[in-house]
Amino acid sequence: MTSAMHRPQDGTLLELRDVRTHFSTARGIVRAVDGVSFTLERGKALGIVGESGSGKTILARSIMGLLPKRGTIRQGEVLYAGDDLAKLDLKGMRKFWGQEMSMIFQDPMTSLNPLMKIGNQIGEPLRVHLGMDKENARATALKLLQDVKIPEPEKRLDQYPHELSGGMRQRAMIAIALACGPTLLFADEPTTALDVTVQAQILDLIQEQRRDRNMSVILVTHDLGVVAGHTDEIAVMYAGTLAEKATTAELFANMKHPYTEALLRSIPKLDQPSHTRLMAIGGRPPDLITPPTGCRFAPRCPYATEKCRTEIPVLESISAEHSFACWNPVGSSHWQSKQDELASNAGLASAGGQA
Amino acid sequence: MTDIVLDTPSKPAKPSPLTRLIGRVPPIRKWKWGFVLSVAYLVVLTFFAVFANVLPFIRRYNELPKGAAARKLASYRGKPSGSYWFGNDKLGRDTFARSVYAAQKTLTIGLASIVAALVIGGLLGMLAGYYRGWYDRVLSVIFDVLLAFPAIVLALIVVGRFFQSGRLNLGLFQMDKRFFGVIVVLTLLSVAPLARIVRAQTLALSQREYVLAARGLGASSWRILIREILPNLLPAMFSVAFTGLAVLLVAEGGLAFLGFSVQLPFPTWGFMINEARPDIVKGGGWAVFFPCILLFLTVLAFNVIGDRVARRFDIREATL
Amino acid sequence: MRYFAQRFLQLIVVFLIVTFVTMVAIQAASKDPARDLAGPLNSTEARVEEIRKHYHLDRAYPIRYAYWLKNLVTLDLGNSPTLGASVRTLVGQRAPITLLLGLYSIGLALILSLPIAVYAAYRRDGPFDRFVSGATFAAVSLPNIILAVLLGYFFATKWRIFPYAASKIWPWDDFGEHVRNVALPTITLAVGLIAIFVRLLRADLVNTLQSDFIVMARAKGLSPARILWRHALRSSLFSLMTSVALQFGGILGGAVVAEQIFALPGMGLLLFQAVQQKDLLVVQACAALFALAVVIINFIVDMLYAVVDPRIRHARALG
Repeated sequence: MTSAMHRPQDGTLLELRDVRTHFSTARGIVRAVDGVSFTLERGKALGIVGESGSGKTILARSIMGLLPKRGTIRQGEVLYAGDDLAKLDLKGMRKFWGQEMSMIFQDPMTSLNPLMKIGNQIGEPLRVHLGMDKENARATALKLLQDVKIPEPEKRLDQYPHELSGGMRQRAMIAIALACGPTLLFADEPTTALDVTVQAQILDLIQEQRRDRNMSVILVTHDLGVVAGHTDEIAVMYAGTLAEKATTAELFANMKHPYTEALLRSIPKLDQPSHTRLMAIGGRPPDLITPPTGCRFAPRCPYATEKCRTEIPVLESISAEHSFACWNPVGSSHWQSKQDELASNAGLASAGGQA
Repeated sequence: MTDIVLDTPSKPAKPSPLTRLIGRVPPIRKWKWGFVLSVAYLVVLTFFAVFANVLPFIRRYNELPKGAAARKLASYRGKPSGSYWFGNDKLGRDTFARSVYAAQKTLTIGLASIVAALVIGGLLGMLAGYYRGWYDRVLSVIFDVLLAFPAIVLALIVVGRFFQSGRLNLGLFQMDKRFFGVIVVLTLLSVAPLARIVRAQTLALSQREYVLAARGLGASSWRILIREILPNLLPAMFSVAFTGLAVLLVAEGGLAFLGFSVQLPFPTWGFMINEARPDIVKGGGWAVFFPCILLFLTVLAFNVIGDRVARRFDIREATL
Repeated sequence: MRYFAQRFLQLIVVFLIVTFVTMVAIQAASKDPARDLAGPLNSTEARVEEIRKHYHLDRAYPIRYAYWLKNLVTLDLGNSPTLGASVRTLVGQRAPITLLLGLYSIGLALILSLPIAVYAAYRRDGPFDRFVSGATFAAVSLPNIILAVLLGYFFATKWRIFPYAASKIWPWDDFGEHVRNVALPTITLAVGLIAIFVRLLRADLVNTLQSDFIVMARAKGLSPARILWRHALRSSLFSLMTSVALQFGGILGGAVVAEQIFALPGMGLLLFQAVQQKDLLVVQACAALFALAVVIINFIVDMLYAVVDPRIRHARALG
């Protein structure tokens, strides 16, 4: 069906070298992605995690070349199987879109064309890229709908998006993304718009399809809980830069960046008592037109020192599978002393509250 | 424990600040100069129109040239000159003076109609949008009828049959029957579209939290309509007033052209155009040109202002 | 289906009200409708009374209206005293030309405005878009009487490309001459329409092009042409369709002006003359036909909404 047979089964698929994506606005240049480098192996899943405004979506869109009009990749290389995508124009990119790489969007309600039958929406890339005729495309669309485990797939072919439930719509969108057998699949917050009960199913489906088709997946989300069970590696983004990158197991076992720590603490855990207070990260992500000097997280970081405010920490590797950018990482002596101080303050506060 | 509101991580379901920022970047303000020029033009036009009877350098609309001037005119075929700025028509009357008097009539008719239409249409639309139910249904049939009434038929019947000529006694003041008839027609024509816009806006506004809250607090319907809804309708109505006025001026021009608008004691631009039209080939083109230009510029100016106001308040319905 | 029936019924009601109001207004404005109908020449008392009886003018308005409706159904709407022909013949001769004029101008406007709007929206804020934006703004502000006078002066009087006084030539008789005769009135009506359609469609397209499903379509690797024409255009047609229906009444009004200026013997000219000569029955028939046209166009557009948007189709099937 596709060229999947001839693909090498492993090796580096994607390499980013110091990618900078800027937006020109009336107020100035927004440095949405400001120097990001990483590599992704074939068949692996990478999670990009961060708050909204951290640049994670823009990073994913930069790789794919699907930036809004005012955004451009200013610098850096996006090496996809040896080709630098950053140098390609729209026409060049279009050869990759849908065939080599495709994307699952956040909101299936607005991302599916409301006026087109599901079957036609899945069949469209098949007919445009693979030159299938109408019947062939329809048969393949049906097969895809079965792959994504939509109930009653024959019926869905002739239905419109508004006739489907949220979960089914997202499955249909996955079917569209998978249609031409992509090598790299982006999933941009694929479960945010969905019902909690459906979220896990959709994530499992993506995971399963990745294994079956030996795709690479880039999963963009604000939720560390989402990436935990469904990725091989995690990159934590903050204010357009990578804060920490590690394999999933290593990150959860040995997180180093205070921002990662804060993100994790903002997720409710099942084993906590139901009224345990969630830790929120105070403040807002910085203005990306004039980012703070030094570490960008410093203004919100409870452990920040003078050095953090003046010197930019670089991404340093502590092992082959773990790197982070912080002057006072979790576990360092300064972190420990600050942690004790905070704990005693909290103790005082709760003691005062009880008295 | 004290009740602290926690700063939860923002939901990415909403557009991120970045995309919102990019969406908000205003388009190049290309109409700014147009706006200034339009206001300036209308101010000058209104000044002439209001003081036409008083300004010493404006002739009377029916003044015919005498003696030497008349003899000179015969050779000169109505071209603009130092004393006849816009030239003359075939009878030798001053096109500038007549255009200014016409502006007086046209602007009065337009303003009176749009104000009447805004009051009636605004009220009906507000009530239909707020009370809904059978009231809304009856009104929407009335609007449908008014919209299905071909404008021209309405105009021809009302002006051509009811208000043909003579004076109309309205107690306090008298006015020309035709003048009144044209205002009635233009008002009738604009009530339905205006009422529809206002109805849609009211419908949206009455679902807003603060209106629901006011209702929950037991405020009376009239109070809600006047205190909560009307102020929020005003920007839209303000902008519609300008674009609507432009549309009415076009309509009045058409009516006048067909001879169904005010003609006595002096006509409006549309009739001036029609009157001088046969003389174009005989060198009377200036008497057609100037009323045309004035009508076009006036309509354009009102449209520019309406467009500006609509953009300023971000009103989509009111744009052209 | 229920929705369509309901909508259809509503339009019939609207049509009945419009025609009734027209009749009452026309006859109430006349000092003596029977005398007007007898015509200016042979108006002996006996003849006037005969006409009064014949058209039931001595009865109350609702009864008169009922008789008129009955006559409408049988297409026997009486005679015109001034033009010396039956109303049916007159309208039958004149209506097609105005209908064609309306269809030509809407057709021309749609054919031209679709590509212009699509390209302007595609290259938003580019030089073409700015030019179109300025030009359409000016065109919307250009009263059709001015346009007609200009067109008439340059194309008919000065350059003699088109005849000044148009005559009624059917397309099936001599297509070339037909086009020459209706060209100027058609352009007069079409320019404003093009401007309105382009502005509406461009604005809607710009909105649609920013929606998620367009990004999705790009991510599928579709060509810009396919995205614009297959995905974006269809979702952006609603305002345009509404506008076509709304503008139709205005087009008929414009037709009166255009026919008057270019002396094209259509319904508009007939109505104009009938009003001036107090030809009551002709006025009534013209008004009814105009109202009918508006009502039918509205109904068609309503149906088209459902064809274009499956969501409306389903919502209505349920409701």
